[in-house]
Amino acid sequence: MSRSNHRPESSEPSWGKRSDLDVLNRDIPRVDGPVKATGQAVYTHDVRLPNMLWARLLIHPVPRAEIESIGLEAASEMPGVVHIEALKEPGDAVRYMGDDAVLAVVAAETPDQAADALRAIEVKAKRLAPVVTPEQALEEGAPVVSRRRNADSNVGRANERGDEALADAALAGAVAVVERSFEIPVQHHVCLETHGHVIQPAPDDEPVTVYASTQSVGGTPRGLARTLGRDASRIRVLTPHMGGGFGSKFGPGLEGALAARIANATGRPVHLMLTRSDEFAIAGNRSGSRQTLKVGAGSDGRLVGLKLQADKLGGVSGGSLPGPPYIYTVEDEAAVSSKIRSVHTATDGSRAMRAPGHPQASFAMEAAMDELAYLLGMDLVEMRIRNLESEVHHRQLRRVAEEIGWGEHPHRDRPGSAENGRAVGIGFGVSVWGPGGRSSRCDVTVRPDGSVVSATATQDLGTGARTYVAAIVAEELGLTVGMVEARIGDSDLPPSVTSGGSVTTGSSAPAIKDAAHKARESLEVLLEDVLEAPVGSYVWKDGQVSVRGDASRSLPWIAVCALLREPLVAQGEFREFLHEGRIHGAQAAKVEVDTLTGRVKVLKMVTCQDQGLPLNRLALRSQINGGMIQALSYGLLEQRVFDEQDGFLLSDNLDLYKIAGAQEIPEMVALIDDEDERPSVCGMAEAPVIPGHSAIAGAIHNACGARLTRMPFTADNVLETLYGKI
Amino acid sequence: MSRRSFLRGATQVAAAGSMIGSSAADEMAASEAAGASEVEALRGASELEISVNGKLRTVEVEPRTTLLQALRTHMEPPLTGTKEVCGMGSCGACTVLIDGQPAYSCLTLAATCAGRPITTVEGFGSPDAMSDVQQAFCDKDGMMCGFCTPGFVVATHAALERAPEADLDELKYQLSGNLCRCGTYPHVFEAAQAVQEDRARGGEGR
Ligand code: FES
Ligand code: FES
Repeated sequence: MSRSNHRPESSEPSWGKRSDLDVLNRDIPRVDGPVKATGQAVYTHDVRLPNMLWARLLIHPVPRAEIESIGLEAASEMPGVVHIEALKEPGDAVRYMGDDAVLAVVAAETPDQAADALRAIEVKAKRLAPVVTPEQALEEGAPVVSRRRNADSNVGRANERGDEALADAALAGAVAVVERSFEIPVQHHVCLETHGHVIQPAPDDEPVTVYASTQSVGGTPRGLARTLGRDASRIRVLTPHMGGGFGSKFGPGLEGALAARIANATGRPVHLMLTRSDEFAIAGNRSGSRQTLKVGAGSDGRLVGLKLQADKLGGVSGGSLPGPPYIYTVEDEAAVSSKIRSVHTATDGSRAMRAPGHPQASFAMEAAMDELAYLLGMDLVEMRIRNLESEVHHRQLRRVAEEIGWGEHPHRDRPGSAENGRAVGIGFGVSVWGPGGRSSRCDVTVRPDGSVVSATATQDLGTGARTYVAAIVAEELGLTVGMVEARIGDSDLPPSVTSGGSVTTGSSAPAIKDAAHKARESLEVLLEDVLEAPVGSYVWKDGQVSVRGDASRSLPWIAVCALLREPLVAQGEFREFLHEGRIHGAQAAKVEVDTLTGRVKVLKMVTCQDQGLPLNRLALRSQINGGMIQALSYGLLEQRVFDEQDGFLLSDNLDLYKIAGAQEIPEMVALIDDEDERPSVCGMAEAPVIPGHSAIAGAIHNACGARLTRMPFTADNVLETLYGKI
Repeated sequence: MSRRSFLRGATQVAAAGSMIGSSAADEMAASEAAGASEVEALRGASELEISVNGKLRTVEVEPRTTLLQALRTHMEPPLTGTKEVCGMGSCGACTVLIDGQPAYSCLTLAATCAGRPITTVEGFGSPDAMSDVQQAFCDKDGMMCGFCTPGFVVATHAALERAPEADLDELKYQLSGNLCRCGTYPHVFEAAQAVQEDRARGGEGR
């Protein structure tokens, strides 16, 4: 029985005054640091069960084909093969590179045996025109690869907003006008732990256990229920640790369904993790885009009109791109028009990826801000401030400008020259996000021996969620973080949200706070008899409870818990007023461009970011830096490459699909915006990934006058932009 | 050439090369001579003794088995701290020390490791008794999802061994064989520098 029934309806939980906090708003080393740093943390990849089978997928190497036959005979006779099945029949089509290109699955006693068997499958197929580029998709008579029902072309329905004639009229009256076309490539998530599951089947009266590398411990049971042929409540999902998701791991996917099917068919545990090349082929991506943006400003720098035409390139999915004007405002909303459509190729469908659509929109919009500023002879920061409504953005831009040395920079209202060989430039960008928060639960258990458990079915993607699950409780009860055990990553725990759109903190932190507060009040009820003060008049600090204003009346934590005759379980739930819904950020980047070789070196990046009350400043700086680094990587290096003639995905490994490494990392400054004094919390991981590549492009332009309209910013791209095609 | 004979040929090439440990080669030769079944010859499995984190471990490997596979899937109980991310020498998640030198275990055949001491991330410390580098990774938050972390921990130990006084640029160079998608690099550099300072002040260094 829970003693929390005794709770009087006295006070509401609150995050408290920042100056009073002992645990939160400080640097808290993550509680799972030691297991991660010593290799003891068990990821789904690492799960080993007795009698476990190893499964592998066979993926067709090109996106479109007609299957003539899939010969399993030789493979099925290979040593160790236990289960083998083809997913396509003769005559079936492979319609796109993605889950539709999975031809067969094999499960064997060892990983090598599964790999050998895979190679022994004999596939005969007729290759069809690949349709991997938007040009191919838009060609006259191109095969229709769209998944929309009754689609007769590869173009999705255009989303049209505003009146083009009004926008044209406004642009005609502008003092300065820029018009540019931009090409933004598809980006892969590149989670270092690939997608996959280990599924342990069970008799009907016991739960099936699923180890999943997922952003949705709570949603995965539902995702597998049908395939496993049992109710979601009898599927237990465990994700103690997971090696990155970034938006790509919301559901079990085909790989989860196949693992479930094999587990059911064989009655044995199945380990099915994608290989790295599988991951590039079928695990999703951030959609690319092509945009033509025209923006005009008056002599005061205020935007007066805007027109956007954009294609979202999300493969067989729709892709994402928020409507214009992105973050900046055009005074007369009627002067904005846009036409955004999806162009489908026979390539893997895009998925959510850290701030879906936003980095794409940022790239074009920040470029326009730079160019308009130069046309008007206006300072880049001033130009932005004039077109941003939020005071928060104004102060953040000023702060990053100061930190990057903008005041001393020699050319703030015009680009530098390419003539000197080495040119240094600075660029800027801003971000917003509405992280939200919703229903989430948490149980805090206090035992008579003084031990405390904080439990919720969230997952830690690397954000530090596990750490605040303990830290929030420690703060409320005056304990150290180490005195509270955090339990997460288990669908049997009180439900929490899927981690997407930075909702995790805003959803689960209020529930944890609520549970901790209830536990504290229940303990205070017991203390009424002992320390003789009413509920609400106690101070919990340094492992002691004392009566406010009378430190002589106090008890150590352990003595308080000894008053309990049984464990106390306090159940917390999401409280709207404990979370915040909107965040802002500003970034600056400083680069050096070698105008002879075209090489770009990022020298420094700075972010200033708000998020309400910072729960853990250390983890927060990690997130901010990580966002900047992913944006840098996106801007400088990342490029998916298909062979346009046959449709092979050429960049299906980490040698050819480059991500940022140690030597690309500039000096980085993560500023937590402490002028944000909102007494509430929210997630923030999306925001810092949004404008970094835009700021770098702006810095390249500022350095040497080259406005790069294509990503990534490779040396040949820089040289071509500076000197034209050779 | 049929697929089977091709595989068999490949096995023989590997066996004839100098890359293979003698016990595996002997076993191969013996089983061929004894007219072992074609499948046996094809698999070429043999027992290998390797020294991992100071303990001798017996593991059944084939000529093609990489050290990474031997650690993660062939050994009983397996050592899964060392991660596989790319399997082709691009990312460093599989970094271990062989004879004290950092190596990508995904590019190292297990059979070449006989008689060469191997240290994996587990060999540097445990959660209750971490090495100075592991402790610094925790203090400076040199990890987020943590999947790259074991590789970085080993690489950092090796870097500080090779270049104890490395400046930041040299540290970046020394750690350039490892990739992190979460973007922990600045925190990893801070951790390495904290260890340098600590060791310079006479800290243990383990
Ligand atoms: S797994 Fe060995 S280098 Fe990537
Ligand atoms: S911490 Fe996630 S990949 Fe490095």
